Parts: sequence; structure tokens; C-alpha cells
Amino acid sequence: MSRFESPTTVPEALERAAHRFPERGIAVFDGRARHHERRTWPEVLDAARKAAGCWAAAGLGPGDRLVIAQSTSWEWLDGWLGAVWLGALPVAAAPGAGLGPAEAQVRKVEGVMERLEGRFALVSDVFRRSAQSLGALSVVERAITPDQLFGLAPDEVSPPRPQADDHAFLQLTSGSTGIPRAVQITHRGILHNARAIDQRIGEPQGGPTSEWADGIVSWLPLHHDMGLVGCVFVTMVAGIDLWLLQPTTFLARPQHWLRELGKRGRTYTHAPNFGYQLCVERLDPGDLDGLDLSSWSAAITGAEMIRPETVAAFVDKFGPLGFRPQCIRPSYGLAEATLGVTCDRAGEGLRTLPLPSELAEQAVDADLSEVASVGPPMADTEVRIVGTDGRTLADGRVGEVAVRGPGVFTGYWNDSAATAESLVSGELRTGDLGFLRDGELYLTGRTKDLLIVRGNNLMPHEIEWLAEKVTGGGGALRSGAFSVSHGTRGEEAVVVVETQERDDEKVELQRRDIRLEVSKGLGLVLADVVFVRRGRIPKTSSGKVQRRELRRMYLDGELA
Amino acid sequence: MDSTDAKKQALQIIADVAEKSASELQNEQNLLADLGIDSPKALKLLMDLEDGLNLEISDEDAARMETVGDILRFVGSAA
Repeated sequence: MSRFESPTTVPEALERAAHRFPERGIAVFDGRARHHERRTWPEVLDAARKAAGCWAAAGLGPGDRLVIAQSTSWEWLDGWLGAVWLGALPVAAAPGAGLGPAEAQVRKVEGVMERLEGRFALVSDVFRRSAQSLGALSVVERAITPDQLFGLAPDEVSPPRPQADDHAFLQLTSGSTGIPRAVQITHRGILHNARAIDQRIGEPQGGPTSEWADGIVSWLPLHHDMGLVGCVFVTMVAGIDLWLLQPTTFLARPQHWLRELGKRGRTYTHAPNFGYQLCVERLDPGDLDGLDLSSWSAAITGAEMIRPETVAAFVDKFGPLGFRPQCIRPSYGLAEATLGVTCDRAGEGLRTLPLPSELAEQAVDADLSEVASVGPPMADTEVRIVGTDGRTLADGRVGEVAVRGPGVFTGYWNDSAATAESLVSGELRTGDLGFLRDGELYLTGRTKDLLIVRGNNLMPHEIEWLAEKVTGGGGALRSGAFSVSHGTRGEEAVVVVETQERDDEKVELQRRDIRLEVSKGLGLVLADVVFVRRGRIPKTSSGKVQRRELRRMYLDGELA
Repeated sequence: MDSTDAKKQALQIIADVAEKSASELQNEQNLLADLGIDSPKALKLLMDLEDGLNLEISDEDAARMETVGDILRFVGSAA
């Protein structure tokens, strides 16, 4: 088979898209979704080659790591694709947005630069100045702005062609030390996953997406695997258009997403549950006068727990504008599998089973009563449910979700201990809990103490360290963070803190300081801060906080 | 619009986003920690301020806004 038929590397896939779909491409919108700059795949290819030359002129070489912390833009795409073209390993981080200094983002980029020994950080001028004022030297010294990079006269480069099993990029995911871990993704992983997603999404429609869709409209950030692999690479292999909104535009004005979906022909989209929830909370059909959503053919939902209440509310609200309930396509994936593991194949909308009552305790959710099918595994991907002894469990029994397939990562960058925990003889242990029924996966919770708030993964000790900084704990005074969720709101973070302070006013000051530290450090609003007296937080004999038990005590009102 | 009107209007916009009444707001309140204005709400707030007061807020200006007072000072000087 020629490389134009079944590309296994990013450069091949880009060349194939330019050759086969010369009219298709990507449009990137400005912050107000008023204007967009569209490039066809041949133009994307030219720009990537030129960017590779600019990177080489800047001193980047094959195998070098570089961090990209930029908002959605052509600079992001050119910088990323150019680096991959050159054989370097890009790793994308959130650029920070909103109010206040981007301290949390700067610290994260600083940690990643140090851990990966990054050669460059492609950042905006504002970001570089924030890094400077925060004394983040590893960022400042290696920062390069898009103007500097693309202002260089590009070197003539002809990098060696990557092999399918070479690493193409690194994907950040939350790690146990507060510094994100970098998931190593291969060229084969990306291209296989993109094709498998394209194929699965097309199944109920009777053919590949290019036969029934003109494009994807997405607001997902490009540092998110669902934005990068699920949107950029899926459109590249499928030969359809990509309409890219700024994530910030969507968060401020979600109507732009729906408007573009209604306007750009036959469209589909990927989003986490909270994206659909935001539309339900913020928009009324009245805000969307004249909009017709009947050409929206698939609404993939994934990256966090799928909430039946959200789906029902979305269908209720936007059904009158032409949105069809069967468009909802639940899916499941994670960075360690490149992206997709399963996706709904039936095309009948959300299908649920009642949560077996004996599971209520280990579910993530306080009041989860039904669980959504996230569909069967994608092509060439195997899912089994394993017990704590590693043996395969029978249909309907809950255990850890384990995955095998071409998309499974090769390990975390320079972290063999974490890799050994997640990869057991080539099989990915996801840390997610669920069961299989008739070949379809149902998720019920997690084995890890991970919190997923609005699509962002957090480890509990990231919150606990900040809380204990305020109470002066860490030794005798402990804290425990976990998530709870109610109805459509999704997971929210709660921290329980031990204090010896008896003065109510001083306790209130501590509460405010904890909220302040957590919001500054993690960009997170805590749903609740609960103070308890010293020794009240349950611990194991070795002194480890038992977060699961603490969470049960909180939900049962035992901490009040 | 003079700067007093602009500040009054800005206060109302902040109150709407925070789902509080304008009379509950105080200058020293932290937007995130005290008013729960997380990133989606913050982005809505920025665009509401730009649209409502017909001004532009650069990323650098936004990076300096941590409290209610920071926003009112900015609006006061921009009006």
C-alpha cells in the first residue's frame, strides 16, 4: 500500500492530506469569532516545512524537547507541526487565560521545562514577562516568541523520515509530584487513532465521515488530546474541514460554537460533558435566533464522566433548534492511549444501565444512579476488565479498565517507576473502573484519587499542599482533597483541613487564604473547605490520608 | 460616559457574573477566591466588560486584575 493510502507518520499524513484533499483545510478564528484565517492542507504543509527550517535556524535539533504554551493560533499549529517535521518532540501546555497573573501556568511550564530539559518554550511576550516577574528562569532563558521564531530566515532542512514507532510528541498529564508527566506518543499511535476514530464515528452513518460530513467545529484547546488528535488529526486523515474557535471564546460566549456548527454545512464535534453543560446553563434558544442545528450530525462526548442529566437537558433545550438526540455519541479515552479507546457505535443517542447498587460506594459520584455506555473498543483495540489480582473479570463485574492496542503509549518521559505502574507487559492499566456488558464499556469510577474538574485532571495532593501551606501543617496537621458531584454540575473539589485554631475569625481567614492559594496556584475554585480538629482525618497505619474514607465521612455528614 | 458611571456599570457586570448583588461587592474581594469567578466566568466577565463599556482589555491588563478594585481602577482610567 502506498504511503498516500495509509500513512503511519505525521509527515506522511500531512503530505497525503495536501495531495488528496487540496481544497480542504483548517480555519482559525480570532477571539471574538468574527474573522478567521483559513489555510488549505497544501498551505499547512508548506508552513510546517518552513517552520521546521525556522526551528532549525533557532538551534532546535531532532530529539530536542520544546514546550508550546500558546493560545489556539496558526503560530501554535506551525510551531508544533514544524517541530515534529524536524524530529523534535513538542509538548503543549495551557497558556493561561482570564484574570490575574498566569502564575499557575508559568509554574507548570517551568516544571515541565526542567523535567524535560526543554530546549525552547514558545510563548507570548506577555507570558514571558510574567515568567520574568515570577523569577521562572528556565522559562525566561529559553523563551522564544512566535515573532522571533518565524522572523528567522529558515534553514534548508531535510530531516530523516521518522519511523512509525518513533515518538512524535509528548502529551502532558497530571503527575503525582505536582509536575505534569509527559506521555510519549508515537507516530503510529496518532495516525492509527485518528483513523480508528474517523471510522467509528462514521459507522452508524454508513461510511467514512468525508461521505456525510463537511467538517468539525471545535473549541477544544490544542494542548488537549481531544483537540489535537480528535480534531486536527482526524480532519487531516478524513479529508474534511476543521473550524477552530478559541477555547476562551467558547467559555465566554458558547453561542459561537453552536452558531458555527449550524453554519458550516454538515458538521460534527467533540467536547467534554462540561461543554454541553455550559451551553445548557448559559444559553437560551432565544439567544440563538434563526439557528438551525439539524445539520449537526454527531456530538461526541468524552474526556470526563458523561452525565445523563446534562445530555437530557441539552436535548431538551436545543431539540427545538433541530438538534437530534441520536447525535450524542459517548466515548472514552485518555492521553496514555493517544486518545480514543471506545466510542458509541449504535448511533442511537445515550444508552444507560442502572448502576448496580453494590457499586454505589466506589462510584465517583455521590448520586450517580445510571451509567452510560461509552461503546465498544475501537478498531484493533482490546479492552478487558481486570481484578486486583490482574485476572480478567466476567461480563458485568466491575474492575480496572485495561487497554491494548496501537494507540497505547510507550511510557512516561524519564519516569520508569510511573511507567511500570501503568504499563504491564504492554497493557495499559488506566486507573479507571468499569464493567463490560455485551462488548460495550460502562465506566463507574476510578481507582486513583484523581479529580477531573471541568475536563482538567488534578491530583489531590496538589490541593493539599496549598492548603497545608496556609495552616502550617504537612507534619502534624493534615488535609485531604477529593471530588464530589451533584447532578449536572460535574465534579467539584473539596478539601478537608485539620486545624488547631479555635478562634472563629482566624479560621475564616484561613479558609479565605486556602481558597486564594488554590485559585492562584491551580486556577481552581473550591466547592467547599471544611475544618476539622487535629487527628480527625482518617489515616492508614503508615500515616497516609485515606481520601476515600474521608470523602464518605464528608458525604455522610460525619465531619460537621 | 464619565468614570463614575463606568465604574457603577462595571460593578453591576461583575455582580451579574458572580451572581451576587452589586451592594455585596467590596474593592478588596478576590475575584476567584471570594467571588468564585473561575476561568469560564472570568472570560465571560472580560467580554461583558468590553462589550458593556465599549473598551478593550489586553491580556496584560487582564493579568493585573485580581480584585474587584483592580477592575474598577482599570475601568476608571480607561473611561
